[in-house]
Amino acid sequence: MMEPVGEAVREEAAERIEISFPALPDLVVLARFAAATVAARAGFDIEEIEDLRLAVDELFVSLGPMAIDGCMRMVLERSDDTVSIVGSFEGFAPRGFRTEEKGQDETWEKAAELSELLLDSLVDEHGRETRDGPPTAWLRKRRTLAK
Amino acid sequence: MLDQPISQASQSYEGLPVLVVKGEIDLAVAPSLRQGLTELLDAGHSSIVVDLIEASFLDSIALGVLVGALEQCRAAGGDLHLLVTEPRILRVLEITGLLTTFSVHGSRDELSSQDTRDAPADRLREVSPQ
Repeated sequence: MMEPVGEAVREEAAERIEISFPALPDLVVLARFAAATVAARAGFDIEEIEDLRLAVDELFVSLGPMAIDGCMRMVLERSDDTVSIVGSFEGFAPRGFRTEEKGQDETWEKAAELSELLLDSLVDEHGRETRDGPPTAWLRKRRTLAK
Repeated sequence: MLDQPISQASQSYEGLPVLVVKGEIDLAVAPSLRQGLTELLDAGHSSIVVDLIEASFLDSIALGVLVGALEQCRAAGGDLHLLVTEPRILRVLEITGLLTTFSVHGSRDELSSQDTRDAPADRLREVSPQ
């Protein structure tokens, strides 16, 4: 589960999209929109698209609080029947995002456990990579008919 | 102009304060949700209704806020009631094992048919996802 999306997937990808945007909570909707668009192009049905919208949201939640001046980076790859997404924060700073807000830490702790449960259910594979560079999370979801 | 995603109803329902939540409830909206719930708890309400009938999306951050409020309500001898009809949100509750932990109702009528003043004794425990 810790293995990042590898070169094998990349070579097969019919489409590769990279986007980045400021790490602001109200811009996470852009990640959901991008995921839904790529899923639709891969032939996912509406339920699968909705699963992926939630999963990509959870992908960024799983990375923890965002850095105030950081940047969210997202790479989406589509093959015939699979969508792979890698998300990361550049300028990641643990506990660096609105920690002054009452209840913030407790909420993130609860969310981390819930997020893991959701990702387990919504996608075929997912994981996190923390070795080189900023923390990175990835997921892979195949179209149902392709399974 | 877009509707505010969080609004507190000017009147309570069956004596309980109602927090109405609309649209996509994610980490952008979660702070407002937490603030609304905190204000009600600080005002002395131990039981609260969160109306999610017009909500279409709920992520783990928002769910974490609701779990935190549920724990506080039950510690005070009350409960947090969710009004939910959206299948996507019901599925999120089911996946996380929280569908039976929360008091979930399909409508205000359904809520009023139950005793909403006190939490069942077997639910007065620390809330955690399964």
